[in-house]
Amino acid sequence: MSLSERLLVARLVRRDEEAFNEVVRQYGDRVFNLVLRMVGSRAEAEDIAQEVFVTVFKSIDSFRSEAKLSTWLLRIAANHAKNRIKYLARRREHEPGGSDSADLADEGRAPAQSHIRGPDVLLEAAETEDIMQQAIATLEEDQRLLVVLRDVEELSYEEIVEITGLPEGTVKSRLHRARMTLKQLLEDKFK
Amino acid sequence: MSAADSHTRTVDAFSAYLEGELSPEEKASLEHHLSTCIQCRTSLERFRRTLGGLGMLKQTSAPNSFLEAIQQQIHRRSRGRFFRRRWLLFGRIPFEWLSLAMIVAMLVYYIVVLQSSPTGVKPIP
Repeated sequence: MSLSERLLVARLVRRDEEAFNEVVRQYGDRVFNLVLRMVGSRAEAEDIAQEVFVTVFKSIDSFRSEAKLSTWLLRIAANHAKNRIKYLARRREHEPGGSDSADLADEGRAPAQSHIRGPDVLLEAAETEDIMQQAIATLEEDQRLLVVLRDVEELSYEEIVEITGLPEGTVKSRLHRARMTLKQLLEDKFK
Repeated sequence: MSAADSHTRTVDAFSAYLEGELSPEEKASLEHHLSTCIQCRTSLERFRRTLGGLGMLKQTSAPNSFLEAIQQQIHRRSRGRFFRRRWLLFGRIPFEWLSLAMIVAMLVYYIVVLQSSPTGVKPIP
């Protein structure tokens, strides 16, 4: 951890409000993007990302200075996002007539087959984003996290190991399985 | 090794291959298989496109009101201990208002005190 980061953490421990604002300004977009890619809904992502920073403010004392502040923040974000995914899945199960796609309708993310015209649209940027986001949403939350961290956020394996607490070999094998699942899913869509 | 085993081994190594993590021997063996197997070549191409699609997901920014919303949450949950509202312009010392007040004060002083001073120049009657 760099000296400036140590100083920032020391100010956070003293609950220095300006230091906290600095952290939100510095890492807000990264945290928001990670949770958005995990949950697929802007409204949920906004809520979770806020919760992440509230947790940071409350539990900065538990931060171990051997880790990087960004990694610690992303670990909190990943845990919050995974918990919310589980919660939303449980809620959908208990809702009469609830389905996975119901919560995504307002994001323009209705079931994929409904508006995919053919394989040639795959690489068109606007639709690619939508299609990929839908595909990610079908993965188990652990696999989803690995795909987002590595292939969307482009973090190193070292950072992913720190965030997930998984051994590097496990990260790599699970990530490969997740990528293969995504590939299969996209192939099925365009059959 | 059977053809099916060869396909499985190749497909299992796609991630490591694209991330440059195979040993030279493993890489050569995989590329040899790819050169003879159109099924695995197609599969690798689709795998590559899948990763490309993930990489194209754009980075999104947090909403403009993000920081303020978090401050409000902390303020509420700490029962007003943190992030109290301050009577400051844009959250800092209101130098603009201070300057304006000083100018007004100087103007008043000039009009009231200096204009009524006996040393002031009076017109000849």
